[in-house]
Amino acid sequence: MSDERTPNFGKVLGTMMRTQPWRYALALVVWTLIWTMPVLVGVIIAFFFDQLEAGIDGNTVVLVVLATLAYAVARTAMIFVGMRNHASLLFRAAGAMRRNLLLRMYELPGAETLDETPGEIVSRFRDDVDHVIEPFDLTVDLIGALTAGTVAFAILFSIDPVMTLVISIPVIVVAVVANRTGGLIRRYRREARVATEAITGYLGETFSATQSIKVAGAEETMMRRFRSLNGVRKEMMVRDRTLTETMHAVFRNTINIGTGLILLLAAGRLGSTGDAGISIGEFALFVFLLEYVSDASYFIGVFIARAKQGSVSIERLITSLHGEPWSRLFRETDLHLDGPLPEVELVERAVDPFESLRVRGLTYHYPGSPNGISEVDLEIGAGEFVVVTGKIGSGKTTLLRAVLGLLPAESGSIVWNNAAVDQPKRAMIPPRSAYTPQVPKLFSMSLEDNLVLGEDVSEHTLDESIYIATMRHDIDLMPEGLETMVGPRGVRLSGGQVQRSAGARMLTRDPQLLVLDDVSSALDVETEQIMWTRLFNARSNVAALVVSHRHAALARADRVIVMHDGRVVATGTADELQETSPRFRAIWDGVLEPVSRG
Amino acid sequence: MIPVRAYFRLFARYLRPYRRRATVLAVVLFTTIGLQLANPQLIAEFIDRAVSGAPVDELAPLAIAFMVIAVVHQVFLVWATYIAEQIGWSATNQLRSDLADHILHLDLGFHKATSPGELIERIDGDVTALSNFFSSMAIKVIGNGLLVTGIIVLLWVESWIVGLSITVFTALTFLGLFRLHGVTVPWHKAIRATSAEMFGFIGEQVDGREDVESNGATAFMVNRFDRIQHKWLPQVVRGWTGWAIMWSASMGLYFLSLMIGFVLGAYLFGVGTLTLGSVYLVFQYIGMAHRPIEEIREQLVDLQKAGASIERVEDLFATESRLVQREHLILPEGPLGLAFDHVTFSYDDEAGDDVVLDDVSFDIAPGKVVGLLGRTGSGKSTIARLVTRLYEPQQGAVLVGGVPTWDVELENLRQRVAMVTQDVQLFRATIRDNLTFFDPTVTDDRLYEVINRLELDEWLASLPDGLDTMLESGSGGLSAGQAQLLAFTRVFLRDPGVVVLDEASSRLDPSTEALIEKAVDHLLENRTAILIAHRLATVARADDIVILEDGKVIEQGDRASLEADPGSVFAHLLVAGMEEALA
Repeated sequence: MSDERTPNFGKVLGTMMRTQPWRYALALVVWTLIWTMPVLVGVIIAFFFDQLEAGIDGNTVVLVVLATLAYAVARTAMIFVGMRNHASLLFRAAGAMRRNLLLRMYELPGAETLDETPGEIVSRFRDDVDHVIEPFDLTVDLIGALTAGTVAFAILFSIDPVMTLVISIPVIVVAVVANRTGGLIRRYRREARVATEAITGYLGETFSATQSIKVAGAEETMMRRFRSLNGVRKEMMVRDRTLTETMHAVFRNTINIGTGLILLLAAGRLGSTGDAGISIGEFALFVFLLEYVSDASYFIGVFIARAKQGSVSIERLITSLHGEPWSRLFRETDLHLDGPLPEVELVERAVDPFESLRVRGLTYHYPGSPNGISEVDLEIGAGEFVVVTGKIGSGKTTLLRAVLGLLPAESGSIVWNNAAVDQPKRAMIPPRSAYTPQVPKLFSMSLEDNLVLGEDVSEHTLDESIYIATMRHDIDLMPEGLETMVGPRGVRLSGGQVQRSAGARMLTRDPQLLVLDDVSSALDVETEQIMWTRLFNARSNVAALVVSHRHAALARADRVIVMHDGRVVATGTADELQETSPRFRAIWDGVLEPVSRG
Repeated sequence: MIPVRAYFRLFARYLRPYRRRATVLAVVLFTTIGLQLANPQLIAEFIDRAVSGAPVDELAPLAIAFMVIAVVHQVFLVWATYIAEQIGWSATNQLRSDLADHILHLDLGFHKATSPGELIERIDGDVTALSNFFSSMAIKVIGNGLLVTGIIVLLWVESWIVGLSITVFTALTFLGLFRLHGVTVPWHKAIRATSAEMFGFIGEQVDGREDVESNGATAFMVNRFDRIQHKWLPQVVRGWTGWAIMWSASMGLYFLSLMIGFVLGAYLFGVGTLTLGSVYLVFQYIGMAHRPIEEIREQLVDLQKAGASIERVEDLFATESRLVQREHLILPEGPLGLAFDHVTFSYDDEAGDDVVLDDVSFDIAPGKVVGLLGRTGSGKSTIARLVTRLYEPQQGAVLVGGVPTWDVELENLRQRVAMVTQDVQLFRATIRDNLTFFDPTVTDDRLYEVINRLELDEWLASLPDGLDTMLESGSGGLSAGQAQLLAFTRVFLRDPGVVVLDEASSRLDPSTEALIEKAVDHLLENRTAILIAHRLATVARADDIVILEDGKVIEQGDRASLEADPGSVFAHLLVAGMEEALA
């Protein structure tokens, strides 16, 4: 089965080759030629020296020069074709992996915590994908170097089998040594990287906490720590670089030792004619081609090391697939790289009018934690305004997320207009519902793109959404209005502006059900009040499911749901609950805490 | 093109302490070059002797000498690398720490305008790019330069005409390579820019999954991904073509040299100027010449790139804190008076209409507690930042102990004026390091003493490893209330005379709230304080009240009389419900 958890790396490479058979085949042919052709230079030089020894004539010199020229032209052409094809081959392979990872990420419930930090996930997309691509890239070089090595070996063997075998020994020794020390090199490199990450991590934390550090006057102690981390990294780096250089030196020396051996073996036979003799041309050929035999063995080592690194990266990427088999990474996916880009597919607008949403027994618990929601029932009818309230940690946000499929419910049912919703994550999106999280995120693009998100939104709807979300004034003040670049790489908006933009974003989809998490952390009471008023004036039919503990929302609600420890403890209007629910009273009074006089 | 002077200024400053090691490096380097140049001479000699029929025992020593020299050469190269790396990392560590120190001392305005990621890139990215220069520059540029020169000199020795031709071609190729490089640089820059865009995009998607999925925007985002890729591919192909150009160009030099070698070798051997061994020698040197040229080019290209780094590093060093120190007074012990004297402040130096505080004045007697009230954005936190002199007012003065803050030595001011903010900034480190800011001189006894005084000993005991408990980054796995408790302890370790406390506005669980109440009691003992309060219980601690609206003081007075006056804003707030009104 191809479903096995950790695939054989060869299988991974095979899959990648099969995805782009023609580009890969072309790469193989061209790069094998690029690698093998230099052997011809050795042959030309050898021919030249043999002719020189025998007394060269003008025509032969012209022939040699022309052959060199032709060779140079042919190899240059190969290099251009090979490079361009390779760029495309590797780019597409990496692009497909990244696109599949992205698609998979969107399939996961959006509020479920991933095991990795955001930084780690970005590094999966960037570095781990690159680490899988590298050995794939090297297969071509490996085959090329092996072919060149074999051809070189064959030529040398045909000249002098004994000498060829003798000089091959150091070359093989080096290949073995290189493979043996590969582990050590990797360990040193890893430790150097850890030391570097410690520094960047420390700098990041330091400069995120500048205010605290300054207020505490702790600049000097922070710097002392930085210097000590710097010292550790220096040791690691020097060790890593020195070892790498040592390995290179050992490798380079095999060629020199080999050349020395040729000299020793050829002593006495060089220049003498006859079967036992070695001509200067043959000698030159030996010295020249030895490098190619040695290159081939070197590449085997490099390839093995990279393939090991690649397997580690594949394992990490598999965890990012969250349960999907590894082949998912390489699934055929249209990258839209050839020809013009297609437009975004629009969501189908035609849906039945909203009648009701019924949630029964909804249960979700955070992994390895008793926190979550249990057996929650909830009902929203057409045009109803339902407010969920409760203390911090009572499960309000969890409830919204579970209803929207942003968290995978353990049990319970969700029924939309009398039809069961099997996959809330796919159903609870526009045009049915749209959501504003508690801490919304905007993306690095124009504010308009952020509000519209590719949807076909009419001017009117956009304006109205901005108006309801009380965002108009802010936009007027922005340097380029709706065209202003926002998000992490754009203009920095205040918390309230982000919240209101996200509110407008939700409204542009014109959903039947608005789902809105607590806005009180970013909006003042007045603004929230205005927002609700405008919303129900403009869209009197819309249903809303809202988390809030403010009177502005509670008093307006058709139904308030009071949560405590993940369960619904009371339901009713604010007035009713004032009478019946002590917990609700506590929340209501908590907001309006009486003055403790005296 | 290459900022040689700026580079050497930096180079000289940071390498001065390593002069002796640098001298050793130079000696080792010269030796390796000599050895490298000597070896082909041995082969040439070997060939000439072999062809003239010398016996094996005369040839074998040459072969062995060849091998010995080769091995010694490599050993010296490793040695040189080791010394160079040592020097390079020592020098750049110094530069890094000077730069980080300088940046950390810049005013908060600078830090608000510059993201931590950018600073990491400046301090570690740029400086590491330079470290290559402090280490490899010497070896690679000077070493390879000498090697090429040596090769050319030796070719001249063999035959002036060979020497001349190779000199001319080498010079031409070198210039050509640089020209081509200038053409391809922007190509690679474009690739890097798109790459940054792509992974920035991915990072945002990871962060905003909830927003994207719940608003049905996944198709749109995948389309954005495709869009970036669509732009990226042609750039990547062009970039690889750029490498092909550079590769072909340096290959071209080799083949031209080879062709010269064939023609001149045949001619000079024919007329008897060169022996067979010498012709072989010429070919060896030709083969040796193109690698160092390639390496010098790579190094110079890197140096050019580093030019931008040097510029940025120097820019940062040139950036000065906007806080101008006038005197270096030291504040007395005990509670300190605090006053705002017609303070007008804007975060933006240029814009006039972005005033956050507008002619704010108030006076707090030593030991008094002032409750500071106002909506979000009314200027409360700004007042806190001016008291701790994170910023300087544009007009008016902030007086601590009767002295303008700019006259007090900054270190002393920060010792004597403490601030606890709502969002406590924590490090991915132990509780101990978080409390002491990595200061190893603060003893555990001292920590326990403070913790006991704040009555936090039980809480500390509830943590898995006590003081050694590791906090994760960000919120540190602590609740907002617990984080504030940590911040209180930080303050207590210093025993300040003025405390500014921005109370956590989020709801706290009852046990944490009780702990905080007690800790605040201790915190306010015998200290002047500004409380930015969100709950009435906290306001009740205040002797005086100051209410801000849109950067102006709209009411101030002692709490009791304001409470008693039904016309006061404060009395109105109490009736309306403070949290609601001030949210």
